[in-house]
Amino acid sequence: MTFEPITGRYLTVEVAGAPRRIYVEEAGQGRPVLCLHTAGADTMQWRHLMNDAEVTKHHRLIAFDMPWHGKSLPPKGFETEEYRLTTELYIETVLAVADGLGLERPILAGCSMGGRIALQLAALHGDRFSGFIAIEASDFQQSWYDIDWFHRPDAHGGEMGAALVSANISPYAPAEERWNTLWMFMSSGPGVFRGDLWFYTRDESLIDRLGQIDTARTPVHILVGAYDLTCTPEDAKRTAAAIPGATVSVMDELGHFPMSEHPAGFRPFFVDALARMQAPVVAD
Amino acid sequence: MLELLQRMQARLDASPHMLRLGRLISETVLLRVDGDEYYLVFDKGHLAEVVPGPSRKTPWRFAITTDSEALREFWKAHPKPGFHDIFGLVTIGRAKIEGDILAMVKNLRFFKEFLALPREEALA
Repeated sequence: MTFEPITGRYLTVEVAGAPRRIYVEEAGQGRPVLCLHTAGADTMQWRHLMNDAEVTKHHRLIAFDMPWHGKSLPPKGFETEEYRLTTELYIETVLAVADGLGLERPILAGCSMGGRIALQLAALHGDRFSGFIAIEASDFQQSWYDIDWFHRPDAHGGEMGAALVSANISPYAPAEERWNTLWMFMSSGPGVFRGDLWFYTRDESLIDRLGQIDTARTPVHILVGAYDLTCTPEDAKRTAAAIPGATVSVMDELGHFPMSEHPAGFRPFFVDALARMQAPVVAD
Repeated sequence: MLELLQRMQARLDASPHMLRLGRLISETVLLRVDGDEYYLVFDKGHLAEVVPGPSRKTPWRFAITTDSEALREFWKAHPKPGFHDIFGLVTIGRAKIEGDILAMVKNLRFFKEFLALPREEALA
């Protein structure tokens, strides 16, 4: 029997004035990389990179399930609450987890809504991190779906959500990982995907903040899959162009969940992104 | 197109997991390709009938309008970006969906896999 190198533990942090029990996974040693999952999913999306010995040789990859997701509980009283993620709540959660883990200026790697909040953090709390890998990340775009489809009493939101987001998976993705990726959406809690999309599809505040990002102190590299219908290469390029010094790579055979849907295809892009996270020396 | 739809009908009948997914689906879907109309009559997950149109008397739940060139690319094993999914065709302006779209979304996996059945032939 051989265990994977990933270990999982629970951490309780305070968010919005109340405790949140957060599930955290990690693997590796060296420079910390805090990894954020997409809407409607969980840390499983990062397992391939966390099991990659070459990646974890010099990087400590840490991923956590946002409250309401995966093995992190929703807050007390959730049964009467409508879950709606906001920029403020998301930022507070990421910073609380980073503080709770005692991370000193980690690299922040986030995908989709995780990429969006990575750019928000780059603009508002850039000094807390040493670089940003923003995957399938953009300033803002109108949704091409109705978020209310995904939380209704007469149909299974998870199965609908999975069928919808399959539009964002590349045809080059191996079938096994396509379905493993979709499984996370199928099994997410009721209203969770909708609540994440509330943040992702309605908050335009990043657009005016992109110019504040100081890439001389904290590099920003954006990765985008050509098969991503939600954050298209055009969306990512427009976003990168608004951040002085940001770089962008288009991944021709990947979609919206690259680290999960096609691990082998994504690996070289992620390794390249890590190599770009060396900030130039800035005199204080 | 009619012959292809009939092959899709047979393939659906030979796909137990799709019949399981579609066991509660009894709807008529209008497919328009290059202006030609086909009424796809689903009954408990089976495609009971493919009825060529036009017809002003046949009610339908939702309609998908596209063109044969877009479908040829859609049905490749590795379509170009945008052609890889029915919503992709919509976003690039090569298809539109009308009518009760929620009826489609509630059973989205079934309808997507049905529409992609010729892709399996491409992969075979």
